[in-house]
Amino acid sequence: MMRPSQIALTTFYWAFIVYLFLPLALMVVMGFKDSNFIGFPINAWTTRWYLQVFQDTAVLHAFGYTLLISIVSTALSLVIGTWCAVFLGPARFWGRALVFAVMCLPAVIPGVISAISMRIFIRAIGLEPGTGAIILGLTIHNVPFVALMVLSRLGAMPRSQVEAARDLGADSLVAFLRVTLPFLFPSLLGASIFCMLLSFDDFVRAFFLGGYQPTLPVLIFAELRSGMSPAINAISTVVLVVTAALGLWAERATRRLKGTRS
Amino acid sequence: MHRQSTIARFTDVTKRFGRNVAVDRLDLDIAQGEFVTLLGPSGCGKSTTLRMLGGFETPDEGRILLAGEDVTRLPPNRRDVNMVFQDYALFPHMTVASNIAFGLELQGLGLGAIDARVGELLELVQLGSFRDRMPDQLSGGQRQRVALARALAREPKLLLLDEPLGALDAKLRGQVQIELKALQQRTGKTFLFVTHDQEEALTMSDRIIVMNAGRIEQDGTPEELYHQPRSRFVADFIGETNLFACQVRGSEDGRVVLDWNGILLRAAGSVESLGGRTAVEAALRPESIRLTSERPDQANALRMRIVRRVFKGSRIDLDLEAQDEPGGNAGLKASPDPAAIEALVGDTVWASWDPGRLAILQA
Amino acid sequence: MATTSERTGNDAALIRPQDGTRSFWTRLTANPAYQRASDLLLSSDRRRFWLLAVPALIWMFGTHLGPILTMIRISFLDSYPPSAGRVPDVTLENYLLFFQAPNYITPFVRTFVYSTCYTLLTLSLMYPIAYFLAKKLRPSRQMLFLLLLLVPFWVGEIVRTYAIMILLGNRGFLNIVLMGLGLTSRPIPFMYTGFSLGMGLVYLTSLYMLLPLYASLEKIPRNYLEAAADLGAGSWTRFRRVTLPLSKDGIASGCVLVFLISTGYYATPVLLGGPSTTVFAETIAGFFHVAGDKWPEGAAFSTIMLLASLVTVGLFLRLLGRRSGSLLG
Repeated sequence: MMRPSQIALTTFYWAFIVYLFLPLALMVVMGFKDSNFIGFPINAWTTRWYLQVFQDTAVLHAFGYTLLISIVSTALSLVIGTWCAVFLGPARFWGRALVFAVMCLPAVIPGVISAISMRIFIRAIGLEPGTGAIILGLTIHNVPFVALMVLSRLGAMPRSQVEAARDLGADSLVAFLRVTLPFLFPSLLGASIFCMLLSFDDFVRAFFLGGYQPTLPVLIFAELRSGMSPAINAISTVVLVVTAALGLWAERATRRLKGTRS
Repeated sequence: MHRQSTIARFTDVTKRFGRNVAVDRLDLDIAQGEFVTLLGPSGCGKSTTLRMLGGFETPDEGRILLAGEDVTRLPPNRRDVNMVFQDYALFPHMTVASNIAFGLELQGLGLGAIDARVGELLELVQLGSFRDRMPDQLSGGQRQRVALARALAREPKLLLLDEPLGALDAKLRGQVQIELKALQQRTGKTFLFVTHDQEEALTMSDRIIVMNAGRIEQDGTPEELYHQPRSRFVADFIGETNLFACQVRGSEDGRVVLDWNGILLRAAGSVESLGGRTAVEAALRPESIRLTSERPDQANALRMRIVRRVFKGSRIDLDLEAQDEPGGNAGLKASPDPAAIEALVGDTVWASWDPGRLAILQA
Repeated sequence: MATTSERTGNDAALIRPQDGTRSFWTRLTANPAYQRASDLLLSSDRRRFWLLAVPALIWMFGTHLGPILTMIRISFLDSYPPSAGRVPDVTLENYLLFFQAPNYITPFVRTFVYSTCYTLLTLSLMYPIAYFLAKKLRPSRQMLFLLLLLVPFWVGEIVRTYAIMILLGNRGFLNIVLMGLGLTSRPIPFMYTGFSLGMGLVYLTSLYMLLPLYASLEKIPRNYLEAAADLGAGSWTRFRRVTLPLSKDGIASGCVLVFLISTGYYATPVLLGGPSTTVFAETIAGFFHVAGDKWPEGAAFSTIMLLASLVTVGLFLRLLGRRSGSLLG
């Protein structure tokens, strides 16, 4: 027998789930509507929008480009974020709190300001907007998240692990590569998926730092502003499926890893 | 025991953590082939001493020599010592064999030689069939043995053991103590063992170094420490003890006569060795007290009444109270063998002990 | 990473262990060049510290702080990007511009009012959900229910904004349902209003509120509440005197995150909002998209917004009596 408060909370939770999923579900359904007009009611069904999307070179290019940018920026974020965490984790020095704050800064600056300050910055260091600029912008934004995730895992690692490796003849680099890095693996996997999602979905940095080649979110944004084609539903659905699948897989993989080696 | 060549030497070593002095001007020699235990309460500096020898802490002052070589500032990977960690620190992502091979690979051995050596070590610790297990598939005792094999793999000059039995349950611990001692004798290695458990120290060690507040309180064989504690700290820390605050009365037949609340006691030794002190403390182990119903022919004999009796299986703990002697209700603890005594609470007995068992504390 | 035993086991047919084959790590560490480098760089704690510190500090101060400092510097210049042969003058003109026209101040004020309202709205919506997850569910089901909430957030800003457009449009789902039920005869114009924008922002940011709240509520030991109940506290008193104060950290982190993130959206206000809901992000972006030399003004306005958001956050944290600096910790 559930108490009234329990019933109310449960109902509220499921109502919120509906609020979260309904718009996305409508979008998926709309992608199969056989009409040039986006809206209800739906009278006929088709798959032509999907066929159209898979033949549209602009969309395919944008998809590949976004994927490339995401992968490169994720790889860079992992290396730099781990480096920062390994530096800050054990180090005790005057001004550590300040350095820590600077490290977290990109994660808390409002997106549009972060993008615009980057736009000015790349100009000041002589870079043009384009692939390099987007990758740099995404990497700067991702590094704090990687560093924080790695730091929390490092904190859970017994000091004796590295000491044992050193005791057995490893210098600090070998100890790091053979003992610390495998220990960090679950958090690195989690961080890389998180960075992939952040980078693939990012709009504001790609918009302000990009060159002529649009990323997928920028392409969708442009389409939305220039009048909505039903193909957008199909593109968005593909993005939805890809990201949700990636996220779910990562969630399971990291949970399993953390379960077996803690 | 017979002193062999020195393998490790601490000279005037001090280590501070901030304002806190962890190790205070320590001088210590460890001989080849010894099983030495550093014993003391937590925070006494025993682990820091061990970690300085392992290379995990650098002394603020003083020098550490290992086989004649100054290793004070050498990193851990350049020292010919290996450590068994309190939590074993097995690498969770490597098999038992890879854990043991880790140190061998870094010694430059070929895979064939490593393979053979790993097999040898697994036999030594009786884990031959566990080669390809992961550490999380082993029991606590098995993990401890893998850690031991891993630390012995590189043939260290000195094996450091940092409370390696703390994580085992009480029954297993007793068995492992025996095994560890046997292993040490079989391999002839020098072991430096750290523990806060006095029973563990007494069971295994050739020599025990009792530490307190960063200094050595006493250094001796288990028997010396047990029966001739030099300080109140040692007497208190190791086993149960009766402490007597006494006045020195003089000497008689080559013994020191002490006055304990008006009761005269005799202790081995001479007044000269007390260095002019008139008030001393003396310690007596409860099991050194013999209980008889008749007055024994013994210099130290008191008539006492049993006021509390606790059966402990292998022994009985009794609280005794002095009867008609001038000391009034002065108390003693005694632990006789249950088979030797059938006294009950309220009975009056004679408590007596050999003067050699009454140790006069030097501090 | 292949371990020794695996290698000797698997490749036994190919490589005889007796051949003296050595593992990768053996060969690396036995290499004289590696040994020299290791001695030079890794042998002392101090050298290792600097080896790690220098690149990390260059990255952090260069790229995390660099863009902000560059932006502030340019906000004081009278022209940028610099034209050939002309050194830009230092000026306060760009900041004064902000105070001179109401069409700059209005979006600015609107941004802060909206963001504060949306933050409080998100808090009031997410608190019951976080409470439900952390305190009313068995631990085994918590992860599943949390995961269900997480999935939509893996989809990006633009796609989710678009999904809201389908929901709220004149021929959107909500209007069709309302008309079908006979509650209205003509479509209600939800889109391009504060309502649609709010709906979108809550949709986008609620996770950033949920996670800190959940983390702080989950940490409260159940026996605190049982002890309070044992001492005679009713459910409302238990909530007000025990749960709420102990979840203060989560409330603070959640509100700060949602506030900062919602002020920083650009595409969502453009797509979901209308002329009456123009926010400051759109004003700023305007300086960078028009032809001509407007960067210093844009930089000045960005600086004003950054300062204002940080001050708001600082005031809010002080109000909650919480030291700043542990925002993400």
